[in-house]
Formats: sequence, structure tokens, C-alpha cells
Amino acid sequence: MPQPAFFLLWNDRIYGMVEMTESALLDYMYIFLFLVVGFIGGFTPFILNWFVRPKRTHLKTTRNTYECGMETYGDAWDYRYGVTYYLYALIFLAFDVDILFLFPVAAAFEKVSAARGIIEVFIFLGILILAIVYAWVKGVFTWERKIKVR
Amino acid sequence: METISILPPELIRMLIAVIIIISFLFLNAIMMGYLERKIAGHVQRRPGPMEVGFHGILQMVVDGVKLLGKELLIPFNVDRTLFRVAPLLSFTPVILPLLVIPFSEKLQARDLSLGLIFIVSMGSVNVMALLVAGWGSNNKYSMFGAMRAVAQSIAFEIPILLSMLAVVLMCNTFSLKEIVGAQQKIWFVVLQPVAFLIYVIAGVAETNRAPFDLPEAESELTAGFHTEYSGMGFSLFFIGEYTNMFIVASVATVLFLGGWHGPNLPYGEYLGVVWFFLKVYFLLFLMIMIRWTYPRVRFDQLLNFAWKYLVPFSFVNILITAVLVKL
Repeated sequence: MPQPAFFLLWNDRIYGMVEMTESALLDYMYIFLFLVVGFIGGFTPFILNWFVRPKRTHLKTTRNTYECGMETYGDAWDYRYGVTYYLYALIFLAFDVDILFLFPVAAAFEKVSAARGIIEVFIFLGILILAIVYAWVKGVFTWERKIKVR
Repeated sequence: METISILPPELIRMLIAVIIIISFLFLNAIMMGYLERKIAGHVQRRPGPMEVGFHGILQMVVDGVKLLGKELLIPFNVDRTLFRVAPLLSFTPVILPLLVIPFSEKLQARDLSLGLIFIVSMGSVNVMALLVAGWGSNNKYSMFGAMRAVAQSIAFEIPILLSMLAVVLMCNTFSLKEIVGAQQKIWFVVLQPVAFLIYVIAGVAETNRAPFDLPEAESELTAGFHTEYSGMGFSLFFIGEYTNMFIVASVATVLFLGGWHGPNLPYGEYLGVVWFFLKVYFLLFLMIMIRWTYPRVRFDQLLNFAWKYLVPFSFVNILITAVLVKL
């Protein structure tokens, strides 16, 4: 396939840039167009709204944050949350990164021999599932009352 | 010079695709809103919306106009940037998965070779939008809702990925078109019933729908992460949620229910879209029925259900698949 002119221009300016095939370029154009149109589609209602919204005077309390009719007490950012959320996030992080490695394995699974493929998947998943067993034994999945009420 | 002569028809195709898809997105949100209210009504033995148009069919249009005319109230102590960005962040990425979904053999905007991963990654942006909305609102309800939403979405993302992996192990491709093509003879729901079940359960949870709608549990958190949003801000979250439901259902259709395959129609490569939409809306109907039938679960039950049952089961499912594929 002959190299189109503007690709050559890119390659000359940025040395060693990977040559982009035409279909890959089209992929990116589609994604970018959808991103832009998605943003416009989300933003246009706000512009329309700006023209037709009611203009009214606000009371002192109109722009308080909603708290069941009481006066707002403090910032929500000062509150603390159960450490359990953090532990769940930690297991997730370990898992998600590992599952990412499984995707290429799945895509190339037909190319390896039967014994090698099965054994390697078993080893990988076996180690991975130990993470759940570990968290389970350590009691991440039991939500105990951390503060004892007498 | 070859490219430049090819590009203009491709550009026109691009524009047509994006216009069709974004109008379909709004249409789908309107239809789903109407369907949900109507089904909810009939489940609870009342007629649902009846006043505007035949059997209330124009109710959602009227509601849309009403929401468009509402004042955008921004509370005084919010993080203004994050508060304004959050609805856009929730709405913008939901259009992208529709780019790769094959509605029928020839009706697909673009067949990316990494389509499945593309959908998963764009779906994950939604989690960040919820967190940004909850954090930016500086409201205790929003904050709790956002924390729950993040914990729940990340917990149920792993069963979803694993059940997708089971399918990818069988057909060795991420391109959605080729995955559907591989189901010419037999749908993967027959070969992978466990993965299908896990995917549907985790998909309902991933879209924050009842019985897993803890992030916006009305009785305890008012409206969860979008408590402070009014008018258009709220409706963008709403449209985003319905589009996410559509995406989850159509990915389930593509992976397990054979996409556009069905009894032969004339012009099959275009009219396969009929079978596709029938399957998708059947799944969506199922999701709505689940919402109005089952009570809400408790939050620790929800997270532990994902980690103690769904993840181990999908692991075992993958191991069995890996062995059976090689036999």
C-alpha cells in the first residue's frame, strides 16, 4: 500500500513514530467524533436551559445543601467512613490488574498446546483465588460492629 | 493519495452513524422511562401514567420539557467545578460503547478489534462520574451514596469481566462482530449458562438498579449521589442510567444470546436488527420486573454476595471452560 502524504509528514517530524494504518486512523476518528458529539449532546440541554430558566430571588436558605429541612451542619468532606470500604478497594485493585493479564491469555488460548494452556491457567487462577481465601480468613467479609456499645 | 480519495464517503458514514446513535440514545431513555413507569404501575395494580396522550404515551416528553425549564440550583458550599462536570462526565462516555455494538451484520458504526475491552473501559468511567457527583455535592447523603456506588461497582466489575472472559476463551476474539459470528450454530447461553446468569446478576448490580440500588436507596439516602441535582443535571444522570442499562443488555445479547441471529428474514444482514432489539428489550423488561418484584438487599450482603459467591463461581466456570475448550 502506498504511503499517504500526510502520514509521511508525521513520520518525518516525529522520528520513530509507529506507522498508523488507515483503518486504525479511522478507528480513532470514530472514537473522537463520538466523544465530541457525546459532549455536545450533554452540553446543549444546559445551554437551552440557560435561556428558559426562571429568574427569581433567592432566600437566605434556598441554596443550603439538603438535609431534611434542618440547617446544614458542617461539611460532608469532614466525615469519616468505615475502613471496610478501603479493604474492599484493596482486594479489587489486586484482582482487576490480574484479570487484565487474563485477557491476552484468553485471546491467544487456541494457539498453545492443551496441557500447557490448562496447567498455566490453573496455576495463575489458583494463586489468584488465594487472595480471596486470604481476605476471607482475615475477616474482611465480616462486618463487625467496631465500636462496642455498653 | 489513496486515503484522501477514500475518506469522504467514510466521513459521511461517520456523521450519519453518530446522528442515528445519539438520537437513538435519547429515544431509548424516553421509551425506557415510559415503560418503567407503566410496568411499575401494572405491577402495583394501578394504571400508571394515563393523562397525556393515548395511555400516557407522551408523558415522558412533557416531563422532558418540564426538566428543561427548571432552574439549576447550585448550593453555596459545593465544589463548583466538580458539581458541574459530573453530569457531563456521566453522560459523555455512555455514547461510546454504542459505537462498537453490532445491531445487525451490516449495521455497526465501527468494528474495533478490541471492542469488548473498549466497552468495559468506557463503562468504568461512569463509576468516576458517580464519585465526582457525590464528592462535589458536599452533602452527607450524596457522599454516602457515592461511597456505596464505588464499592458496589468495583465489586461487581470482576464477575462481569470473568464471565466475559469465559466467552472470549471459547471464540478467541474481542471483536463483537466476530463473537456474534461464532454463534451462528449455537448460542453461547447454551454452552455458558453459568456465565450468563452471573453476567445478568452482576449487570443489574453494575447499573445500580434494584434490588442492588443501595447508592440511591430512597428510604435512607433521599436520592443518593444526585440529591443536590435539579433539572437538566438530574436528567443527564437519568439518561446515562438508562443508556447503561441498554448497553449491559445489548452486551449480554451479543455475548450470550446470539446477537442478530434468529429465524431468517428478507435482507437478513440489515433486518437482523429486529431480532437484536427483541432480545435486548426482553432483557430490559426482565431488569424492570426484577426491580419492582424484589426487596432491596443490605449493603454488606450485597458486597459479600459479589465476593463470596459470584467471584468464586466465575473462577470455577473459567477453569472448567479452559479445560473443556482444550479437550
